[in-house]
Amino acid sequence: MSLPVNRPLRFYGESPPGIDLSPLPGRLIVVEGQDGSGRSTQIRLMKEWLEDHGFGVVDTGLTRSELAGPGIRRAKSGHDLDPITLNLFYATDFYDRVERLIIPSLRAGMVVLADRYIFSMIARAATRGIDPAWTADIYDFAPVPDAVVYLDVDIEHLLPRILINGGFDFWESGLDVMRGQDVFESFLSYQARISAHFHELARQHKFAVIDARGPIKQTFETILQELHRVVDDMRSTP
Amino acid sequence: MATADGSTAPQDLPGRLFIVEGIDGSGKSTQLDLLHKWLVSQGYLVIFTEWNSSRIVRRTTRRGKRRRILTPLTFSLIHAADFSSRVHEQIIPALQAGAIVLADRYVYTAYARDAARGVSAGWLRRLYSFAPDPTLAFYFDVPLNEAIRRIELGRDELSYYEAGLDLGLSGDPAESFRQFQGIIRDQYGKLVDEFGLERIDATDTLVNQQERMRALVQPHLDGAMRAEVSGLQEALAATGLSGRYLADMWRAL
Repeated sequence: MSLPVNRPLRFYGESPPGIDLSPLPGRLIVVEGQDGSGRSTQIRLMKEWLEDHGFGVVDTGLTRSELAGPGIRRAKSGHDLDPITLNLFYATDFYDRVERLIIPSLRAGMVVLADRYIFSMIARAATRGIDPAWTADIYDFAPVPDAVVYLDVDIEHLLPRILINGGFDFWESGLDVMRGQDVFESFLSYQARISAHFHELARQHKFAVIDARGPIKQTFETILQELHRVVDDMRSTP
Repeated sequence: MATADGSTAPQDLPGRLFIVEGIDGSGKSTQLDLLHKWLVSQGYLVIFTEWNSSRIVRRTTRRGKRRRILTPLTFSLIHAADFSSRVHEQIIPALQAGAIVLADRYVYTAYARDAARGVSAGWLRRLYSFAPDPTLAFYFDVPLNEAIRRIELGRDELSYYEAGLDLGLSGDPAESFRQFQGIIRDQYGKLVDEFGLERIDATDTLVNQQERMRALVQPHLDGAMRAEVSGLQEALAATGLSGRYLADMWRAL
């Protein structure tokens, strides 16, 4: 017979001021991947599967914080943010969710599904010419997730999905960095750069890299293996 | 100092950057305002910027304060975002152009105040590594009791974060404020040595403090950008006026 396992609360660097460092019964699972890689579809499937199996689930994603979400959306509609300010805005949004949602949920024994995490921010900032060491330093206080699922899709497979989902977004096409290019070219070169940064991060941080080019069902089956690895020891076994 | 984006080292920018620091009630804003009027009367083009005033970020800061949802970390980061936005929109472009920039509070406010909230000193310095180094940084040194007395005279109510009530030092806002300002003042004391801030005795008369500031600023003014207001300058000269109230208009430009 085995008891449910609590996991230590670890951070990439320092722990945030005033945080309780005792081990947590919950699990933090991050889903990363480029735009159009199917993150939101897979997260919905993961959530349903977990709930069907009795796990409490909280999901979160970029710009969903009470504190900074509205401010970031307002700022991005103006297209006039320099990359350092944008980065700090995202960091504020991130830590508001970490301190007031993610850690309390883990403490309550929930499975937290995060749609994107610090890796997206680090890759985006690097693409915009910011020293990756500076960005990584800002995210020193981020909890180390129990798993990072990376949905790997090459550009040929991404493109049709982007087109179906309403076309090219200003920021996702990197139009703020790839000045002077048309939106299509900009999208291609921006996503290629982001992809290179992600693959580097995947190597450094040992992501579970999942081939997400195939049918949704096939990708989800691979994700399920990773889910089992992370959540199975949350319940007692006879 | 390293910059986050590897741009030109700030000390190579042709402008001049003068900043004031000090706890609430130290009189720093009054002195900066006097310096501002003097520089304008000398014909310089002066850009003024103050803490917590980014048009893009300040609504978020207000939201956090009003809802009392800021933690030491998010308090620190949202103020860094506000500062960054002003650095990239106002301060660096003005310094590139060769203008004089006056800043009411600078990175040292974050170093002192966020450290008082438990954020590590090393992390704060790396966070703010994109900030240009000031030409001169003034620290207005005032005893705690004197600062508290001045604030009690001038203000009706302390806000939650101003009083440091989020630190749980005391449930009484006045007592919490006193203790919080005391901790910040101790932090400033260390920063004066670390960064070579110019200490101004804020218990001295206003006019003496201003004289001291001007004397320290004067040697740095040679070659700074001048305001092109020739027609106006002639009119002022002809009428014997200094035009000091036009500063507000130029500030808005």
